[in-house]
Amino acid sequence: MNKSTLLNWVLYLVLMAAILAWLGWGKPMKIQGLFLASGLATGSLYALGGIGMVVLFRATGVLNFSGGAAGAAGAMTAWQLVEWGVWGPVAWTACILLALAITLFYGRFIAPQLAWREPVVKAVATLGFALIILGLVSFLWIDDPRSISLPTDKIGIRFLGLRVTATRLIVFAASILIVIGIYLFLSRTKIGLQMRSLANDRDLSALIGIPILKVETIAWGISGVLAGFTGLMFADLIRLEPTVITFMVIPSIAAAICGRLDNLALVLVGGLSMGVIENMLTLSPTLKGVRPIAPFVIAALVLLWSQRGSRLTFGGRD
Amino acid sequence: MNNRLFHITPSGWSGLLFAAFAFVVLPMVAGKLWLSVFISTGCFMLAIAGVAFMYARLGMVSLTQVGLMGVGGWVMLRLNHAYGFPFEVNLILSGLVTMVFGWLLALPALRMRGLYLALVTLMAAGGLEILFATYQFPNGGEGFWGVKTGSAAAFRRPWLAGSAEAYMRYVVVIVVLGFLLIEAHRRLAPGRAWALIRRSEAAAMAAGVNVTLYKTWAFGIAGLLAGVAGGLLAGSLGLLDDATFKASESVMVFALAVVGGARYWLGALIAATLYRILPALLNNWGVDADLSFVIFGAGLLHAIITAPNGLAGQLIDTIQAKLAPKKEAGQ
Repeated sequence: MNKSTLLNWVLYLVLMAAILAWLGWGKPMKIQGLFLASGLATGSLYALGGIGMVVLFRATGVLNFSGGAAGAAGAMTAWQLVEWGVWGPVAWTACILLALAITLFYGRFIAPQLAWREPVVKAVATLGFALIILGLVSFLWIDDPRSISLPTDKIGIRFLGLRVTATRLIVFAASILIVIGIYLFLSRTKIGLQMRSLANDRDLSALIGIPILKVETIAWGISGVLAGFTGLMFADLIRLEPTVITFMVIPSIAAAICGRLDNLALVLVGGLSMGVIENMLTLSPTLKGVRPIAPFVIAALVLLWSQRGSRLTFGGRD
Repeated sequence: MNNRLFHITPSGWSGLLFAAFAFVVLPMVAGKLWLSVFISTGCFMLAIAGVAFMYARLGMVSLTQVGLMGVGGWVMLRLNHAYGFPFEVNLILSGLVTMVFGWLLALPALRMRGLYLALVTLMAAGGLEILFATYQFPNGGEGFWGVKTGSAAAFRRPWLAGSAEAYMRYVVVIVVLGFLLIEAHRRLAPGRAWALIRRSEAAAMAAGVNVTLYKTWAFGIAGLLAGVAGGLLAGSLGLLDDATFKASESVMVFALAVVGGARYWLGALIAATLYRILPALLNNWGVDADLSFVIFGAGLLHAIITAPNGLAGQLIDTIQAKLAPKKEAGQ
């Protein structure tokens, strides 16, 4: 670990401890624990969204705005299937499969047409796709209060005197396991190696014969499954509303920025910290109202900090 | 050089003609509801002009334009309810405050380019959305935030434009002034600097162009236009709703600017029409307004993949292709 990485970690820990101490000062442990637990769950959702984005961005250079929309389409389908009396697990699987299919469609048919454009243009194009999905989903399911509930909502687990629902634990555990799993996948398998090679230099990878289309399709697949899972969990834990789930990509991007669109472990840490700080802000009487602003402020600060002292250079790409 | 500055291109002539049409005819034929739709279309056209010019001239993507409109609108309402200044003074002040705000946003953002710049502005838009939702827009209440429950206090329209028809004409004039401001910049030193920066920042710097200054300047102009647009929008209704200024709207406005064609005035018009008039039309026809998202999205993909100059570029190319053979025959 070099000096500046160490400095960053120390700074992060000190700041985090200071913020938590400031917000939680004088409040009973139980309330603090409650907000911490719900914060970790929200943060895991941000992190999951961010992880899907970063895996895809590294392999393909596409920052995908349409992950949230794919998740929203999946979650609404799952809700509809449950309404029709379909057995739960089938409905949830349908959610993930639909999100996977939508994402793969884009990755296989639309993304290759834009392969040689700048990253901004690719990102904006996914936005167009997100709008199409959002429009269709909002058209099919008119605005109406809906909710989806998983059986794990009713299972409570006592932990240090706190009751935490199993759904929250699943989300939290999933975010950590997925980071570890993807890390192992990238470092141990051949496809993972090829993905890292693509992330490093797309042109050179193509020259040495890496099957770009195949590797990219796998990356799109991973991000599609993650989008479906995140959408379902978001619908259960926060809200089942297509517009809200679609634009959940904005805080997810904030989490992705914390890992500089590159480092999955940092995306996880960033996402979790955002969720925790956002939820703990509820304890502050003055900042209670603006608490959803936390991810954006944190992302902006991280960007400024990581770019400190740097000047515009002309080598390299964006 | 002054000849070049005041030279009117065919595109310029058609723009002025259209503005004259919007000034004279539209207020006469439009009903009350459509007048307010047209007024807000005009306001968004001005804001879109700002974001489109940054994209077309400098390749900078700003995803916070509607948030900046909100800043302008907030300042406008705040000044209106706090002091007795005339409308025009408030409008200029809200434009200037938003311009400074845009600069503040630009200074850290200028260290970044391309995707990162877009993401910083997106974070700003997300932050502004939450601030507006929490503190609401002033409506004549007490204190700094100036919010009260119940009906809003009166809003002073400009003395020239008390009625909705006159206000629409007022907006048309200001939108034209906004476009002229951009065009004048394009034809003078900043335009040449921007053209060089867009080609290559290294070349621009080597040629002695102050890259930071001119990029910040562009951000400032986009902010100014957004602020004035927000102020005009506030003047149209006398109050503002935070739902208008969500981060997703900023993203949508940028997307539509690309669909319309960021290089042309017609592009901004098409974008604003799609954004404001299309949903109203769909509503009128009894079609679900959600489908306008599908149209926007498909238009965006189409524009990005096949038409880099947007719908306006395609339209202009078609017209030029039709006119070109005739010209040759004439010569």
